[in-house]
Amino acid sequence: MKTPTSLDHLIESLRCLPGVGPKSAQRMAYHLLQRDQAGAKRLAHALTHALDTLRHCEKCNSFTEVEVCDLCLSPKRDDSLLCVVEMPADLLMMEQAHCYRGLYFVLMGRLSPLDGVGPREIHLDRLVRRATDGIVQEVVLATNFTVEGEATAHYISELLTPRGIKVTRIARGLPVGGELEHVDSGTLAQAVLERRNVS
Amino acid sequence: MVNANKTRLEDQPAYVLHTYPYRETSLIVEVFSQEHGRLPLVARGARRPKSAVRGLLLSFQPLALSWFGKNELRTLHSAEWQGGQPLLQGKALICGFYLNELLLKLLHRDDPHEQLFLYYQQTLQELARRTDHAAILRRFEKRLLQELGYALMLDREAGTGQQVVAEEGYRYVIEHGPVRQSAGQNGVELRGKTLLDLAVDDYTDPVTLQQGKALMRTLINHYLGDQPLHTRQLLKDLQQL
Ligand SMILES: [Zn+2]
Repeated sequence: MKTPTSLDHLIESLRCLPGVGPKSAQRMAYHLLQRDQAGAKRLAHALTHALDTLRHCEKCNSFTEVEVCDLCLSPKRDDSLLCVVEMPADLLMMEQAHCYRGLYFVLMGRLSPLDGVGPREIHLDRLVRRATDGIVQEVVLATNFTVEGEATAHYISELLTPRGIKVTRIARGLPVGGELEHVDSGTLAQAVLERRNVS
Repeated sequence: MVNANKTRLEDQPAYVLHTYPYRETSLIVEVFSQEHGRLPLVARGARRPKSAVRGLLLSFQPLALSWFGKNELRTLHSAEWQGGQPLLQGKALICGFYLNELLLKLLHRDDPHEQLFLYYQQTLQELARRTDHAAILRRFEKRLLQELGYALMLDREAGTGQQVVAEEGYRYVIEHGPVRQSAGQNGVELRGKTLLDLAVDDYTDPVTLQQGKALMRTLINHYLGDQPLHTRQLLKDLQQL
């Protein structure tokens, strides 16, 4: 029996999700159509609605439904500090840690030289404009400690330092409460290399 | 039937060149190993937050890898941190990406290049400790071409075999070698001195560095065919900031 075109189309569309191959896409499609039609309708609606209403905040580049998001407008935040993260999930982690009172810029990616993702692809010009508004004094780089995250941090510091902005990088090391016995060698090696004085 | 043990390799010195997400929680790791050259490995579950190898599969770090399987795509069994190589930072890190892109695009899979592996290792050490990055890259490019079987003729004229003269002008013709400047219009123009400097890896003369860069660029483009080098653009962007 030949699969109907609309079903084929649905399966094919589901494959745009990360980590979803033909088998999983087929399973998802059958589930939505056979077991959860109401859920499928909600999903379809939520997707359309999100696509229609969401955009990037003018200031932090994260998702918002308005021009400038609530966090960027909050008078409680220190607007001389700008923290650069790769993804919105990283921003949420920073907020959960209650350690930072400044503003954010979300790159929505990172430089990935070997995949052809360069400074143009992640719109670093927008970050430069944001960071040089005359109010930001310090940019805190909180990109990942992967080789790509490090390359991104370096590139941004090369962009902003000549423009008179103080650029800092969050520190790496052992996890708080972590035991040497359970830490991976790479982390431990770098922590030893970046050891500091105990006063 | 083939014994599974026969297709298992233990503690192979290797570097990660690049990783790609694979399925929901895995990675494909392109590695450059000392004895087996470049090959892809599947690191199962490596993208899970608690994965034991997640923090180890870092580029530019010497690792000892064990893998099994005999198909195109083999499975990573374990990775051991070898240490001794400081993490590359700043410009050195971007240069490291450049080396990896060259290896990914110019080495054939499963082609052993033991000398090149040792030279790559040495080059990473140099990048971490020194600042004359351009000279380090030129030397690596030269060794890479040599290892691939495209060794450069530098101190003798192509055809005639005459000794190159420092004061003369030459053209370097691809897959041929240096000819006198007057001998035609093709090829990269350079001084005799540049050729002789390149032959002995002396990059102290800024003109040698500049002409050497143009020469290597032309040669590498030739061997890459139509493939663009993304990291070269990034290095250029960085230079222009
Ligand atoms: Zn915002």
